[in-house]
Amino acid sequence: MSWQDVAIVGPLVGAILVAIAILLVDLVVPGRRGPALTVALLGLGLVAVLTALAGRTPGQAFGGAYTVDALTTFLDLLFISIVGLTIVFAPDYLEPRDLPIAEFAAVLVFALTGAMLIAASTDLLVLFLGLELMVLPGYLLAGFAKRDSLSTEGAIKYFLLGSFSSAIFLFGLAYVWGITGTTRVAEVAAELARVAAGGAALQPGLALGLAFMTTGVAFKIAAVPFHYWTPDAYQGSPTPITGYLSVGPKVGAFALILRLFVGALGPLRADWLDVIIVLAALTMTLGNLVALTQGNVKRMLAYSSIAHTGYMLVGLAAYAGGRQEGLQGLLYYGAAYTFMNLGAFAVVAALQHRPGVTSALETFAGLGRREPLLGILMTLFLLSLTGIPPTAGFFAKAYVILAAVQAGGALSVLAVIAVLNAAAAAFYYLRVVVYMFMREPVAETEPQRHSSLVWAGLWATTVLTIVLGLVPGPLLSVVTDAAKALTS
Amino acid sequence: MTNSLDAYLILSGLLFAIGTFGFLARRNAISMLMSIELMLNGVNLAIVAFGSFIDRLRPNASVIALLVIAVAAAEATVGLAIVIAIFRNRRTPLVDEYDSMRQ
Repeated sequence: MSWQDVAIVGPLVGAILVAIAILLVDLVVPGRRGPALTVALLGLGLVAVLTALAGRTPGQAFGGAYTVDALTTFLDLLFISIVGLTIVFAPDYLEPRDLPIAEFAAVLVFALTGAMLIAASTDLLVLFLGLELMVLPGYLLAGFAKRDSLSTEGAIKYFLLGSFSSAIFLFGLAYVWGITGTTRVAEVAAELARVAAGGAALQPGLALGLAFMTTGVAFKIAAVPFHYWTPDAYQGSPTPITGYLSVGPKVGAFALILRLFVGALGPLRADWLDVIIVLAALTMTLGNLVALTQGNVKRMLAYSSIAHTGYMLVGLAAYAGGRQEGLQGLLYYGAAYTFMNLGAFAVVAALQHRPGVTSALETFAGLGRREPLLGILMTLFLLSLTGIPPTAGFFAKAYVILAAVQAGGALSVLAVIAVLNAAAAAFYYLRVVVYMFMREPVAETEPQRHSSLVWAGLWATTVLTIVLGLVPGPLLSVVTDAAKALTS
Repeated sequence: MTNSLDAYLILSGLLFAIGTFGFLARRNAISMLMSIELMLNGVNLAIVAFGSFIDRLRPNASVIALLVIAVAAAEATVGLAIVIAIFRNRRTPLVDEYDSMRQ
C-alpha cells in the first residue's frame, strides 16, 4: 500500500471517520440533536468535496481492486446526497417518537461507506464486501423503532431474505472465482470474452456461478419474482428510513449491477439480454398492478419503487441491445428517481410528524387545504414519479424508453410495455392528488409545524426535480462520462 | 471419486441445498438463521476445496474463506439482534405469525 492508494481511498476513509465522529459527539453530549446533526452534515459536505477532488485524478488502488473514475464520482456524490437528505428529513419524525438521532445518523453514514465501496470496486469480492456493508446497517435501520412491532417485522423479513440472497450471491461468486481463477472484474471479463469469441467453452460451473450471482442481485434490487420482502420492509420502517431504503440500497445495488453485468459480464451481454428483458417487463408490470390496489401510501410507494426498478432495468436491457444511451438513461433515472422519491417520502414523513398518524390514504384527505404548500410539493413529486413533463421523471423515463426503441427487436416490445405501465401508474399516483385536493378530511386536524431543516430539504429536492426535467444538459454530460468510463 | 475436487464440490452443493431447504421449510426465525449459516458454510467448503486442489487458487482461498466467515459473523450478530427485538414485541419466533401487514 502506497500513499497514492491512501489518496484514492480518501473519501471512503473520510466517510468512516464521519460516522465515528458522530458516535463520539453523541458520547460527549448525549441525547442532543444539534451537535450530532452538525457533525454529520458538515462531515458529509467534506466527504463530498474530497470525492470531487479525488475524482479529478482517476486511478486504481490495491492492485486494481479499487477504481476511481467518472462513474465512481457520480455515484458517490449521489449516495452522499441521499444520506444527507435523509439526515435532514429524519429528526422531525424521530424526535417525537423518542428515537435516538445520533445513532440513526451514524448507522446511515456506515451504510454510505458500503455504497461508496460498491461504486469504486472492480473486484468481485470487494463488491460483495461493499454490498454487505451497505445492507447490514439497512437491516438495523428498518428495525430502528425497536419497540414498534411493525418496524421489527419489516426488519426481520428484510434481514432474512437479504441474507438468503447474499448467500446465493456468494455461492455464485465462489464458482466464478474457482473456475476463472480470479476475482478481478477486468480479468473475469477477459476470460468471458474468450468464451464469447468461441475460444473456450462456457463451463457448466461458470454458467451456474453467473446464474446464482444474477439471482442474488435480483433479490437486492427487488426485481419480480424476488420482491417479496419489499412491501413489508418498506411499510414497517419509520417513514424517513423507508425513503432511504427505497433509494439508497436500490441505487447501490444498481451500482453493483453496473460493475458486475457491464464490467465483468459485458462480453456475454447477448446472452443475458433475454433474462433482463423478462425481469424488466415482469417487474414494472407487477409492481404497477399491485400498487393500484393499495390503500396505504407507504405501501403504494413501495410497490411503485418495484415498478421503477423495472424502468431502470429497461435502460440496462437497452445497453445489452447495443445502445450506450441505455446506460446513460439508467444513471440519469437513478438520480431523478432519488430526488423525486425522497421528496415524496419527506412529505409523508412530515404528515406523520405527530406519533400515531398513519400513512393511510385517508390521512391525505384535505391536505391541500390544510397545508397548501405541502400539498403542492407532493403533487409535483407524484407528477414526476408518473413521468409528466417538465419534471425529472419525464426526462428520465423518456431517455430509457427512447434507448430501448433505438435498440429495436424485442426491446421495442419492452418499450411499449414501459409506456403502457407509465400510463397505468398515473392512476394510483393521481389518486393521492385527488385525495389531497378534492376529498374532505374525516376528522379536522390542525396544520402542523415543520422545522426549517425539513423545509430546506424539501426545497432542495423540489428544485432538483424541476431542474433535472427542464435543463437535463449538465447532468446528461456527467452521466455520459460515467457510462464511458465504465465501458471503455 | 474420493478425494477429488468434484467430491468436495458435490458435498458443498449438498450442504448449500440443505441450507436452502431449511430456509424455505422452517418457520422458526432462529432455524432460518441457522439455515443461512449452513448455506454460507457450503460456500466456504467450496472455496477451500478450490484452493486445496487448484494450485494457482491456493494463496487467495484462505483469504476469501476468512472474509466469508467474518461477514457471516456480522450477519448473525445483526440477525440475532433483530430476532430478539421482534421476540420482545410478539412473544413468538415463528415467522408465519408475523403477518400484521398483509392486506
